[in-house]
Amino acid sequence: MQAGRGFRLSPQRLLLTGWPWMLLALLLLAVRLSKGAGLSDLYALVSRPFWPGTAQAEWLRAAQRLDQQSRLQSLEADNQRLRRLLGLQQAAGPLLAAPVIARPASGWWQQLLLGKGAWQGVSSGAVVTAPGGLLGRVVTVTPSTATVQLLTDPGSRIGVWVARTGEHGLLLGTGTARPVLRFLDRDARVRPGDLVTTSPASTLVPPNLTVGVVQNLDEQAMPAPEALVQLSAPLAAVDWVQVRR
Amino acid sequence: MMMVDLWRRGWCLASALLVPLLALASPGLLQLDAIGPVWAVLWLLPWALVDGPISGALVGAGLALLLDGLHPGPVSELPALAGLGWWWGRLGRRSLVLERFLPLALLAVVGSLVLGVSLVLQLQLRGTLPVAALHVLWAQALLTGLLAPLVCSLWLLIWRQQLPGVR
Repeated sequence: MQAGRGFRLSPQRLLLTGWPWMLLALLLLAVRLSKGAGLSDLYALVSRPFWPGTAQAEWLRAAQRLDQQSRLQSLEADNQRLRRLLGLQQAAGPLLAAPVIARPASGWWQQLLLGKGAWQGVSSGAVVTAPGGLLGRVVTVTPSTATVQLLTDPGSRIGVWVARTGEHGLLLGTGTARPVLRFLDRDARVRPGDLVTTSPASTLVPPNLTVGVVQNLDEQAMPAPEALVQLSAPLAAVDWVQVRR
Repeated sequence: MMMVDLWRRGWCLASALLVPLLALASPGLLQLDAIGPVWAVLWLLPWALVDGPISGALVGAGLALLLDGLHPGPVSELPALAGLGWWWGRLGRRSLVLERFLPLALLAVVGSLVLGVSLVLQLQLRGTLPVAALHVLWAQALLTGLLAPLVCSLWLLIWRQQLPGVR
């Protein structure tokens, strides 16, 4: 009986001697319940010098670009096929890169002169785009040059819409850097920052080409609200454009 | 002054081709707020002053036909340039004082404004007048007036060397 009495501990003594183990157990439980919080962070902190560098990031970005391009191409092909089935205007023809060889600074007309013309297959009415979106349309063609009427030209009128709200309007050039978007509906729910693209109903230009962004809205304009549009393509800086033949 | 010979010299007339070429090239250094001078006025003014009203009107009309081919639409510079060529030709017959720096600049400013107003009227009729028309008008007139003493004097010198009989 004397031998058994030596292993017996009182609860107070057990608490005093075993608290570090209990704390450890609680910590482990917390790690388990939080799915590795703390542990992962500790690992991240320790392993930071060995993380993948810029080369790996560039590979990933290149792979992502490739993936996005292939998805875009397949979506465009789908879009073309569906539009053909529905009998709507086709989105785009083959693209032709053309250099900008002159920017006449008369002030009365807003136009560009391209270094490709009828010999290269450019025709009057062809749509001209640049990185950023739509620039304008070809108005006159010579054998080796083409004149583009920019969206900012006072004579330019293009059917556009705001995809977010589905509201259609007419983009009117004013001779300044920002054309005016005149809506067809009296109650326009457009707000600054909305993206403006070419209208699917337009007969002059392919649908859904990026045009610009609504900068401000004049709801009091008569007979319908008007908005100033900041064009997305940099008209003054572009040196090469793409002509959709 | 005899004033019927200049237009007969082929290369003198061919120099008019510089006008559309300069209008297309639009040198960036010679622009005011992205608006260039009226090169047609800078070339036609000395020509008409030296060669007289008929030559001025005819050459002005020809030059306008060249320039009209460079921009879209039926708007024409022909009436203004032909009229200016005629007017400057008549002025040139009366006085050589006009060929000093200040009169040249003033004539160029007036010519630029006349041409600009004729375009404004035509664009207004078509409903395609730029909202900044006044700005364009003044920028062109100012720049043309500033360049006229230099450019027009140079042309006057060249034309006079071609016509030794002319004072």
